[in-house]
Amino acid sequence: MDNKNKFDLHYFLSDASFENWAKGLNKNDITYWNNWIQNNPEHIEIVENAKSIITGINFDQHYPSNEKIDQALASVLPKVDITSSTKAKFKNTHTINRTIITAAAAVLLVLISYTSYWYLNNSSTTNHKTNFGEIIDLKLPDGTSVVLNGNSEIWYENDNPRLINLKGEAYFKVKSIPSTNAKFWVITEDLKVEVLGTQFHVNTRKQKTNVVLDEGSIHLELKNGEVTKMIPGEMVSFSNESKELTHQKVDIETPYALWRGGTYAFNEIPLKEVMYNLETTYGVKVQYESEHLKDLPISGGIPNQNLQICIAAIEKATGTRITNKENILRVQENPIY
Amino acid sequence: MELHSDETIWYFFKKGESHGFSLLFKKYYPQLHVYGLKLSNNQELTEDCLQNFFIQLFENRERLGKINSLKAYLFVSFKRRLIKQLQKNQNNIPISEAQLFKTNFTFSIEEISIKQEIQFLCTSTLATLINQLSPRQKEAIYLKYYSEMPTTDIAEVMDMNYQSVLNTLQKALKKLRIASENQQIKTILKKS
Repeated sequence: MDNKNKFDLHYFLSDASFENWAKGLNKNDITYWNNWIQNNPEHIEIVENAKSIITGINFDQHYPSNEKIDQALASVLPKVDITSSTKAKFKNTHTINRTIITAAAAVLLVLISYTSYWYLNNSSTTNHKTNFGEIIDLKLPDGTSVVLNGNSEIWYENDNPRLINLKGEAYFKVKSIPSTNAKFWVITEDLKVEVLGTQFHVNTRKQKTNVVLDEGSIHLELKNGEVTKMIPGEMVSFSNESKELTHQKVDIETPYALWRGGTYAFNEIPLKEVMYNLETTYGVKVQYESEHLKDLPISGGIPNQNLQICIAAIEKATGTRITNKENILRVQENPIY
Repeated sequence: MELHSDETIWYFFKKGESHGFSLLFKKYYPQLHVYGLKLSNNQELTEDCLQNFFIQLFENRERLGKINSLKAYLFVSFKRRLIKQLQKNQNNIPISEAQLFKTNFTFSIEEISIKQEIQFLCTSTLATLINQLSPRQKEAIYLKYYSEMPTTDIAEVMDMNYQSVLNTLQKALKKLRIASENQQIKTILKKS
């Protein structure tokens, strides 16, 4: 490729390690780019320009205060016709509205307690683990973002932070590094995902691994040696135990991995599937009073940061009663309905 | 950590749920408020317009097609609406966007942080220099560093292509860098 075209502003701006260099952040990146500039002095002008776009101007944003925002919201809400379609449900939506705010507070608490949980041990492995019901956002050293769902774990060698082991469920937004063309891998018990820059979701629960690709393209190397390619919008499941491989289309419009935004979204999903999610995320057991309850359909969003709120929302959506005794959830008919 | 992604907020907003509306409002009211105030220099007009904007957005939610970036979409449509309103108030005399950015769109000294990568310029000089940039340069600088918008979104809001946004930013920052270098030389000359 013509060098003059290759090293344009976009080339530098889309490189996470260049960004680190510009901000003076990562020792390796600083060394790499200082060397690169010495060896490529003809590009110094464009490097300077790219650097100043990254560092830019620091503003002290003068946004309206929270009180002013709440006031404005209070004055606009009566003018919005939210109730027209769901008049009967209005009271419910209102309580849900309030519970979501509680959920926000709960997550903050979890996050604070989490910081003391993650450790960098001397054996040069970094490990991030979530408890039941916790969701955390991580930035890996190379700039890749990971959202780790509850009861999940990732770990990697510090000298190879682009080779990630995963148990549980996580969403990855991989930072591409054009300067070195470095690949990114996620390894589970069933398969290995090989990536350039992309966004995808991996779930290893139910004795199999599901991979959903949102953007970009990836290769999967299955434990049995087979290699398969994925296209965006596709979900591949593979179990090393049963050697079963399936490809299927998923609906990205209602994002499959919506839990990473703090909500599970369900579209006519039977109750048993939803409860299975709770079992894996919160470590509870679920029992049903009668078989037909398992197939009650659920549609809509269930906040997922707090088990209590989650149960309350499911009860409302299905018209059941769910009791929690020592982490055993019992689903019963609700006599009131 | 951001609790709700734009995808989630938009999903519930479109479904017509009250918490979807509140989440969207709380997240974007502040940003659009400042943007509108800078464009119009008129608080009452900005707030009225912004309130109506949210109401209409909600009423029309089912007719809205697929949106690539919620943030860019809100900035573009609110800007259009505000300019229309400004025109109405001026007996429908057309207003050019460039003119608005030139005369109204200014940064105060308090908005410029003391911590800057560009050295040797005090906040008041920096504010003056930014306010003297071309209308497009001012808007690009605002969207990128004040509203912290990704470049692809800026391209959408300013109706330019990605590369032109980068070039605009680069030119603006270069002006500031040159001013900073001149200031540095002056300081050295004074000392000697």
